[in-house]
Amino acid sequence: MSAAPTPARAAGVPADVPGGVGRYVRILAICWRAAVSQQLEYRADLVAKTLMSAFWLAWAAVGVSVYFRFTGSVAGWSYAEVLVVVGLFFTVNGLRQAFLDPNLDLVHEYVRRGTLDHVLTQPVDSQLLVSLRHVGMANLADPVLGLVLTGVGVHLSGQVPGVADVASFLLLLLAGLVLMYAMVLGLMCLAVLLVGADDLGSVSFSVVELARFPVQAYRQPLQTVLLVIPVAFLTTLPAQALLGRLEPVMLLVAPAVASAAVAAASLGWHRVLRRYTGASS
Amino acid sequence: MAEVFAAYPGLVRSSVQAALAYRGRMVLWVVTGFFPLLLMAVWLTVVAESGPPAGWDAGDFLAYYVAAAVLWHLSGQHVVWEWDGDMRSGDLSARLLRPVHPFHQYAAGDVGHRLVMLSLLGPALLAAVLLVPGLGYDVGPLRLALVALAVVLAYALSLLMASTVALLGFWTTQTTNVWMLWWGLGSFTSGWVAPLELLPAWLQELAVVLPFRSTLGFPVELVTGRLDAAQTATGFAVGVAWAGVFAALYVVGWRRGVRRYQAVAG
Repeated sequence: MSAAPTPARAAGVPADVPGGVGRYVRILAICWRAAVSQQLEYRADLVAKTLMSAFWLAWAAVGVSVYFRFTGSVAGWSYAEVLVVVGLFFTVNGLRQAFLDPNLDLVHEYVRRGTLDHVLTQPVDSQLLVSLRHVGMANLADPVLGLVLTGVGVHLSGQVPGVADVASFLLLLLAGLVLMYAMVLGLMCLAVLLVGADDLGSVSFSVVELARFPVQAYRQPLQTVLLVIPVAFLTTLPAQALLGRLEPVMLLVAPAVASAAVAAASLGWHRVLRRYTGASS
Repeated sequence: MAEVFAAYPGLVRSSVQAALAYRGRMVLWVVTGFFPLLLMAVWLTVVAESGPPAGWDAGDFLAYYVAAAVLWHLSGQHVVWEWDGDMRSGDLSARLLRPVHPFHQYAAGDVGHRLVMLSLLGPALLAAVLLVPGLGYDVGPLRLALVALAVVLAYALSLLMASTVALLGFWTTQTTNVWMLWWGLGSFTSGWVAPLELLPAWLQELAVVLPFRSTLGFPVELVTGRLDAAQTATGFAVGVAWAGVFAALYVVGWRRGVRRYQAVAG
């Protein structure tokens, strides 16, 4: 009888679950593993989705080339440099579709059917469970292929990014992703407040869709608007970092904006929950 | 056949009501259908920086892309997803029991949706023409009538094309992917990726004989006054011919496919 349960186990908590951030990472890993193994059952579908990802990537890359039949550069961006942005668009958009969209779609269901009550009773922060629990495999090829296109674009542009460029690129890409997460979390707050809103996914789709081109390719005042609704942060700024023409101040601005946004959205989520009364009451 | 069309008013009315019940979603759908305007914004930058490409100035791009955005809402197709969903869930079985062929059930539902869309887009287009400087369409009564005909043809052809592809669902579960592939490749010759005049000559020549231009580019070129009488006649002839081809393919596909249908949830 050497495997006597430890006191922690007896209390229903596995002893090997660490506290703090590590605990959240483990919980997410468990959720995602379950989601992935479920979707791996449909293998033919997965292969088809991957081929479609490749097709749309090629479609976007060829489509954007039409502009360059008439000009060498659009707003200072050459074709190769625009490809860097297009690749990042697929990266960011693919991550949105894989990790954020499935969860955003469900919030409306949680509220309408009252299952949010169940989520709230679980001993984990509700923001984590609601915002990141599910993952869709269908678009996971997008980020990979997108980064490949970004690499191809950098190569064709003749630039050789240094270590500092790559580091600031990674920092800005991370800031962009955090901003996108904050935006979707904000939409989740709205979904709880406006019980009937089942199509908020198209709002996040629209914002990210604008990031298909470098923001400079749009004329004023749209360009400034896109800096405010954070489209510019998603793809344009990381691309500029990779191409070594980022305004250095953005290395401070982007992380600051991203942290502020995610803090605000998280605060908003917990505020909204305090007003939430449950579908069953 | 007369009985089928007698059923349309009732079916359309019920789908209009369904669409009106979700009008918030429809407004959102209109707002998010801005992709053509995005492409336009980049062209306007090109015009401002390096002059009009192939003679297209800012006004030309405005007129083209606003018309394309409107037309997309009137002729873009979603019935493939409905067919696919019903075949997977087995809801097609219920549709088979009704006295009207499923094609007409989907079509009538879709027509109602478009009518509501039109009631939203019509005033929006009028407001845009009045408010946006440089946006205008020089159309007389005759051309307006031709444009209306071309729009109906665009809708009918894309509905027939989409329904034919949807029938592949009797053989495979990948119909939506097939449709996206078909649409995506076609978009280079439909006027969606760019106005056809701005594409390489070989693509322009191909576009005239393929079906895709009739679903978008042809009505848009017609309303923006880019076609002479001969080109207009050719456009209508090509569109009608393709509509006939797809109608025939649909009939054959249906006869063969429905025999294979086994209700998934049955």
